[in-house]
Amino acid sequence: MFNFLINPYKFNKFVDIIFKPLVILTLLVLIAGLFLVYFSPLDYQQGLTVKIMYIHVPSAWLALLTYAIMTIYSIIGLAFKIPFSFIINKAIAPIGAVFTILCLFSGSMWGKPMWGTWWVWDARLTSVAILFIVYLLIIFLNHAFENREVREKTIAIFILIGSINLPIIKFSVDWWNTLHQPASISKLASPSIDISMLQPLLVMTVAFSLVGLIIAILRIKAEILMRKNYL
Amino acid sequence: MLINKIFLFFKREAKLFYSNIADLFSNILFFFLSIFIFVFALGADEQLLRNVGMGIIWSLLLLSSTLSLRKFYEDDFNNSVIKIIHMGGISYELIVFLKILSHFFFVQIPFLASIPIACVFFNLPINEVYNLILTFIIGSFILSCLGSISASMNLLNKTNFSIGSLIVLLFFIPVIIFSIGTNNSESDFNSLISLLLGIALIFLGISPWSSAAFIKLALRNK
Repeated sequence: MFNFLINPYKFNKFVDIIFKPLVILTLLVLIAGLFLVYFSPLDYQQGLTVKIMYIHVPSAWLALLTYAIMTIYSIIGLAFKIPFSFIINKAIAPIGAVFTILCLFSGSMWGKPMWGTWWVWDARLTSVAILFIVYLLIIFLNHAFENREVREKTIAIFILIGSINLPIIKFSVDWWNTLHQPASISKLASPSIDISMLQPLLVMTVAFSLVGLIIAILRIKAEILMRKNYL
Repeated sequence: MLINKIFLFFKREAKLFYSNIADLFSNILFFFLSIFIFVFALGADEQLLRNVGMGIIWSLLLLSSTLSLRKFYEDDFNNSVIKIIHMGGISYELIVFLKILSHFFFVQIPFLASIPIACVFFNLPINEVYNLILTFIIGSFILSCLGSISASMNLLNKTNFSIGSLIVLLFFIPVIIFSIGTNNSESDFNSLISLLLGIALIFLGISPWSSAAFIKLALRNK
């Protein structure tokens, strides 16, 4: 049933079926999310700048999610010798990089009015910046080697080593005393965010992940086509 | 006898080292010259230099020892000496381990002699000099292991060599953090040294295995 996740042929067939409905769904969710953000209440302290959160938080989550997907696919690719996982590694690395730079940029725009500075060297910010550098190195490694086998295995091993950074990012706000606030949503029982702000945030997260998914599908299909021509 | 072969390996490394000794001296010269440039850029305020001294010395040590990473395997790989040594009955993992040891002795240890001289320029207090030397002995071994991994990864990389240095710099960040932390009076000295030794042990385990895998991959696709 989930063969389309590791088989390029079945992936192409599956994606051809769901692509158009997915685009329509993404448009609907994105428009709904933007409307919800527009009508969401202002914060009593932060005022209008709280709306940066609806871009900052989803892009941060998706930056981490993209890296986690790449890590899982690297393990699968190295352990079971499935070439499709290397295709995915190459295709979705730039998407993760874009989400990370979006997160850093919006965070810095948010930090200037709230903390009074564009950038501080605190644990959360630094580890996300290192995540961005890791993404850039993965993209550069994709252009570095001529031999395909060497390139793919090198990148997979590099992704595995770099995944040490993920738990550091996640728990940096708990381990160290940082300027960045701790997570508000992770406590599933009672999120410390009001429901009127939680709804637009979740809708925007879904919309961001759908947009990312559409770009990922297009990139993976292009990558499969390129390999068909070269091999 | 394996011991005999290992002895011969080190003898060969020593000969190669003495024939290329100008390379090492130019690396050390790079280190001192960049210290001078830092001092010119910051201004000659003594208190400021004392505060930032250890950080500057550590980062310049890191940068100047990444200069020599290119030579780690490349010559042996290009003239197939590494294959001949392997035919002599030493496994690739052991070759990598011996290479790391010889890099540690012949490239990193000479930097140790230049550290006290560099500390004089910054007027560092004597306990900071001790911390710096102790952390550099551990950190340079980690640097040799990382250099082995990145150099073996770059064997088939014809276009973009600087990415190997980037990877070394990236994974060296925690070592720098813990090493500079030994200076901080709030943090526990022994626990930081134990952390550094732990990282060194992890790399001692990882690097022969992964470098040997990369070398085998490169030899297969040569």
